[in-house]
Amino acid sequence: MPLRPGRIALIAALGLACGLTWNTWSGRGIALGANAFLREGAEEIDASEARARFDRGALFLDARPVANYEMSHIPRAAPLPEDDFDRHFMAVEPRLRSSFDAVVYCAGYGCEASHKVADRLKARGIHVAILNEGWPAWTDAGHPVKEGAQP
Amino acid sequence: MDRRRASGQGRGPALKLLRHPAVHWLLALVVGGVFVYASLSKIADPQAFAKIVYHYQVIGPSASLGFVPANLVAVALPWVELIAGILLITGLWRREAAVVSAVMLAVFVAAVASTMIRGIDIQNCGCFALDASGRAAGWKLIAGDLALLAAALVVAVVPPRAPEAAADASPATAT
Repeated sequence: MPLRPGRIALIAALGLACGLTWNTWSGRGIALGANAFLREGAEEIDASEARARFDRGALFLDARPVANYEMSHIPRAAPLPEDDFDRHFMAVEPRLRSSFDAVVYCAGYGCEASHKVADRLKARGIHVAILNEGWPAWTDAGHPVKEGAQP
Repeated sequence: MDRRRASGQGRGPALKLLRHPAVHWLLALVVGGVFVYASLSKIADPQAFAKIVYHYQVIGPSASLGFVPANLVAVALPWVELIAGILLITGLWRREAAVVSAVMLAVFVAAVASTMIRGIDIQNCGCFALDASGRAAGWKLIAGDLALLAAALVVAVVPPRAPEAAADASPATAT
């Protein structure tokens, strides 16, 4: 039987049509134009906006593992690693409760830690903005970093 | 028909075996089964799959194209996998479904290879399970994909001979 290119196109088109239909009607769909990491009500900011908030004294939270924080982090940032959240949350909670301007970041691109931390904080009634693309966005923009375990 | 018959005659036993309808059926069943199985968890959770697509850093937040291409892939790719898989298993449009599968597998291999070259560590390739139990992207995955790609190409490119046709197949019975 000869190969029919029309059928190949039809398989692809049918897959796209089924996918879009399922995405619209199944209740499991995602917004096509938005970051799938972003939950409803989450606030994402880019590196320049983060820098502006940094300059006006916003509280930065580092959602990466502590080992990453100890290597280097955004100056004055507090460690709030997603994998050891509760212990670090106790330490930073008073500052978080008194600050209405907090930004959380993680290792960048596909990293989910900042979103998880933002979710947990939201559950505790605290709103934080998420630095889009995290740590690499900050360093690529040439913003200051600090090495070592001290904030 | 004549061209195909001529091309299949006088070749080695390997090609003879590849042209056996049962081998075709088996290869199509394996590739189709893998694709159907692979599609289900992604169809069930497009959001989790979209996040994994971002991890490859080809399309998505790290690319200038924005989220739409990555999200479209996350939404449509599992359904193309499902449809191609079902077609391969049932034998309907088998060659065309095999071509679609081969193209997808080639793209998967290229995507995984590009992450390895760029030093991106992908804990879950998004192949089957989307949770922490998923397999990582790496050489093993590329090898598995290449094996499936070879099987899909056989189904797509090598014409099977008719079941009852022995060494000297008659053109009338060729499918």
